[in-house]
Amino acid sequence: MDEKLYAEDLSQCPTVFCATRDDQAPLFTADAVINGDIRKINLEEYRGKWVILFFYPSDFTFV
Amino acid sequence: MAAVAAVYPYIKALNAEILSISTDSAFSHKVFKETSPSLKNVTFPMVSDRTHVISRAYRVLDENIGAAFRASVFIDPEGVIRAKLVYPGNVGRNLPEHVRMLQAFEYAKQTGKGVPANWVPGQEGISTDPSNIGNI
Repeated sequence: MDEKLYAEDLSQCPTVFCATRDDQAPLFTADAVINGDIRKINLEEYRGKWVILFFYPSDFTFV
Repeated sequence: MAAVAAVYPYIKALNAEILSISTDSAFSHKVFKETSPSLKNVTFPMVSDRTHVISRAYRVLDENIGAAFRASVFIDPEGVIRAKLVYPGNVGRNLPEHVRMLQAFEYAKQTGKGVPANWVPGQEGISTDPSNIGNI
């Protein structure tokens, strides 16, 4: 698991990648709202901790 | 989101972080956070996947509407996906199950035991010794 896998690379990736159990988690940076501020977050900075990604369809709906 | 905020302290105590992600803009997240009473106690990062790159990479993008599925992806401290829960569009998550999953990973790691169905902390795990096959 030394090679880094970036989310962007997968758009063109020809092999089947299902992002499921035992797959490397694609890395990303993105804007995030943290305590009212908009800041960049980087998934790689969470190495050493568990992370739960909570995907949801839309703001103003339930999770 | 209030349901997520309610279990967040338990998640944090298990050396885990929550990142909520939708394809809304960060500005939408900000207004959502500021106006919705259900987000009053939300302190975890709310990530904007405006480009759909993240949702697509995790294979949870509904291309027809440009929005993510309701899905939870568990990533371990080494950066490997260990579990992925995908929910229907109209059914919300079971948050205690998210906490239980983290507790179960920790229990399995510490004891080397298997974690049976409906296990909750305090219950015994199952031996993974091959000589027990057929006896449990």
